[in-house]
Amino acid sequence: MVFLKFFERRQLVIQIFLCNFEAQNTIMLNNTQLLKEYDVVIIGAGATGAGTARDCAMRGLRTLLVERFDFTAGATGRNHGLLHSGARYAVTDRESATECIEENMILRRIARHCVEPTGGLFVTLPEDDLGYQSTFIDACRAAGIDARAIDPAEALRMEPSVNPAITGAVTVPDGAVDPFRLTTANVVDAKLHGADVLTYHCVEELIKEGDRVRGVRLRRQGSQELFDIRSRLVINAGGIWGHGIAAMAGININMFPAKGALLIFGHRVNNVVINRCRKPADADILVPGDTISLIGTTSSRVPYDAVDRMDVTQEEVDILLREGMKIAPALAYTRILRAYSGVRPLIASDDDPSGRSISRGIVCFDHAARDSVEGMITISGGKLMTYRLMAEQAADMACRKLGVEAACRTAELPLPGSEEEPKPEKKRFRKSHIIELSTNQLAAKGRHGTLSGDIDFSRDSDDALVCECERVTAAETDYAINRLEVNNLVNLRRRTRLGMGTCQGSICACRASAMLARSFGNDVALADLASFINERWKGMRPVGWGQTLVEANFSAWIYQGVCGLAPGKTDTSAL
Amino acid sequence: MKFDVVITGGGLSGLVAGTALAKARRKVAIISSGQSALHFCSGSFGLLGKAGGKTLESPLAGIELLPPTHPYRKMGAEATGAYADAAPLLFAEAGITLKGTSRANHRHLSPLGKLRSSWLTMGDFMTFSGERPPMKDCVIVNFEGFLDFYPSYLADGLGALGVRCRTASVKIEAVERLRRSSGEMRAASVARLLRGEALEELAIEINKVCGDADTVFIPAVIGFDSEEHLQRLRRMVGVPLYCVPVTPMSVTGHRAQQLLRHRFGQLGGTYLLGDSAVAAHMNADGSVRAIETASLCDDYLEADRFILAGGGIFSRGIVAAPHKIYEPLFGLDVQATDDRDRWFDADFFARQPYMSFGVATDAAFHPLRGGSAVENLYAAGAVLGGADPLTEESGAGIAITTALHVADLIINS
Repeated sequence: MVFLKFFERRQLVIQIFLCNFEAQNTIMLNNTQLLKEYDVVIIGAGATGAGTARDCAMRGLRTLLVERFDFTAGATGRNHGLLHSGARYAVTDRESATECIEENMILRRIARHCVEPTGGLFVTLPEDDLGYQSTFIDACRAAGIDARAIDPAEALRMEPSVNPAITGAVTVPDGAVDPFRLTTANVVDAKLHGADVLTYHCVEELIKEGDRVRGVRLRRQGSQELFDIRSRLVINAGGIWGHGIAAMAGININMFPAKGALLIFGHRVNNVVINRCRKPADADILVPGDTISLIGTTSSRVPYDAVDRMDVTQEEVDILLREGMKIAPALAYTRILRAYSGVRPLIASDDDPSGRSISRGIVCFDHAARDSVEGMITISGGKLMTYRLMAEQAADMACRKLGVEAACRTAELPLPGSEEEPKPEKKRFRKSHIIELSTNQLAAKGRHGTLSGDIDFSRDSDDALVCECERVTAAETDYAINRLEVNNLVNLRRRTRLGMGTCQGSICACRASAMLARSFGNDVALADLASFINERWKGMRPVGWGQTLVEANFSAWIYQGVCGLAPGKTDTSAL
Repeated sequence: MKFDVVITGGGLSGLVAGTALAKARRKVAIISSGQSALHFCSGSFGLLGKAGGKTLESPLAGIELLPPTHPYRKMGAEATGAYADAAPLLFAEAGITLKGTSRANHRHLSPLGKLRSSWLTMGDFMTFSGERPPMKDCVIVNFEGFLDFYPSYLADGLGALGVRCRTASVKIEAVERLRRSSGEMRAASVARLLRGEALEELAIEINKVCGDADTVFIPAVIGFDSEEHLQRLRRMVGVPLYCVPVTPMSVTGHRAQQLLRHRFGQLGGTYLLGDSAVAAHMNADGSVRAIETASLCDDYLEADRFILAGGGIFSRGIVAAPHKIYEPLFGLDVQATDDRDRWFDADFFARQPYMSFGVATDAAFHPLRGGSAVENLYAAGAVLGGADPLTEESGAGIAITTALHVADLIINS
């Protein structure tokens, strides 16, 4: 009897503790009740981490995904958005090429709403060696990539923006993939399968018991409080920042940060991906993505301690423009919206500490075998295209280590938003011109796939446009704020494209800020507005001339002049 | 075509200079490509709000703190003050009511509820001096579904000043139909509809939600073409009613532009709307002979004197290319650096060097070309280099006073 009372009281205490715990974390947790112990804690919510969380959760592991900022805040959100056919690697790296084409075909199935099957061209410019073309085609075919030489005139008909002076052209099954959508869909699915997700939580320490990692010590951004989450296994999916996470366990991973810079043009210059048919070099891929086109990339080694301060230099911008114009001459007079750069987490193989033989392949370390540290896996290297395969490898290893037998199903089951839709019923009435969805609803469907059905367009005001450039409505904004872990305008931009268009937030940021204020309060929302404007400026500054500078000047007059906006105490622009 | 004076640029400075010259019976043509910075103006004009790191109560007192190449320094504090004091009459004659004096800056509300400080403010808006605004209990009224007005930010801002605030939203039949198209609920469209009977409906709705409030705030979306509509609304609403600027485009800015243009036309001026200057033809002695425009083709605009009032980078009176800053029409000397790394500060909210870029002039506002002054050409407004209008809060002040100054120089020469 006494024991029972004691037990009840303990339950009560635990409940109170949990309540307090929730109350302290409600902003970030979005009603997530955390477990005290998980099977796996995955660190880093880029595509790889989100994919690993999805895979682990689908295999029945109790999974927590932890991210220090927002989904896609690292390299995932700063790449080309190219659905590689693998052709680019065919000549130099057969293994990567094969992985790419296999994953390419899988993503077309499981991530329909994140993928645009644009097709791709590999073109030979007069200054390039046409002899390379046959080497290239042979290598593609050997890797299983459907590469066909076509008449340059035919290529010009397929893609009118391509340089008319090309001497050769090859078609490949390239496409475009939206990394923001892809990652979000993986997170959503992980949650549907029971995973918990914490954004804006930093791993301060790994909890160790002897040589065994037993969990993570977390700190919510902006708070000093630490709390522990225990787990049977920790998966390090921190990308380039994974180096630091491994170091917390006393493990050294030889990472070589490689910076890649890209330019975003103000509209879709091309509808087909255009590559240079030569050995991979700077600025030789032009990718269409939603409303814009992207040229990239450069590639330069950067010191590890610089990975958090990646500014695009004048020289990089000049190279990208000069080379880009060769592929598509229209780039010379197309407005550049912004410049950005990401850091590839390249890893040197273990037997080569000098880093001379750097792999772009997938690296999956079991640190028990490699470093005698039990309970930790690092998944790194690779690329956006192979995120699912990386996740599969990491989850396979996790299951093996935890003694769980469950097969990977991520290649078969579609992501939320990409499910097959039931075929529309035959109309009983002959109304030939019923418009089923408004343009804005179609835009939302393009971004969220079948999940857009959850967006509530029932009230008059729901269809009002918040972001004119990208046609983001009040309803979609509300949906993202309530359902997709949005804490600030940068998050909102990644979920909806709000502020990504030609005005770069000059017009829409204020409106969206007022909507965020309803959830987060006026002071927080206004400080965030200032941070967002500063974040937009970061990308505009390297290309600050012509119309882009006019836009920035306009933005300055509106926000500083007319509105009197000043930066708040905390700057969230780096997030 | 031959004029006494041809002005390139039909924004604030071009119109003010043109009006002053037309009043002095000069035959003037203004070439305007259409939209100007005035269309985005919030309804308040700054003369000088900050200088030498200080916030100024009296704008004229700060002029000596400005760098010597600043347009105000070139005119001198006394002349700047005299031109500033002449401005309200010129606007009043155009039908634009302005509150404020050059002796002291006043305060007003920004769209986000922040306090801004200015020299002149259009009659639509609430202005005050000192710490607190002259009301205790207000209601902030918005139109349902209008996203460019921020009642909750305003309520916070006013609340911090000790004003009790309520917010309310109203539905006006005439405005409701804008919602059929998702991008139409914008200031310009609303203003076009809020006239006649719709205004009466609005007044009724405002009175319904007004309660005990001593003041009503509404978005600045009344009266595209004249102040009359707002005056009517004010007569129908029981308590003092003020507008608060919305995010662009600005209805009050547009109105100011329209009324100034109308006034210029009344005085006999020629306003070439939708045309743009494409080339300047020079005499052998380096003076300007004529301006070629896009629409008039080989019918050049000849004049004795020319005013360059094409605005700054925002209006493309100054152009930034990847590695060059230039003045596109005359190829004038610019105060700028071509090194792009030195155009910007990484912090958006810090002083941005590019905002000071503009043409170089001598003391009499003759722009320099290849180092020597172009004697029959004058520069006015944002095209002038050496000022930092955003940080100084001096944009409109520079546009107005330099325009009046060069008009004076032309009239007296």
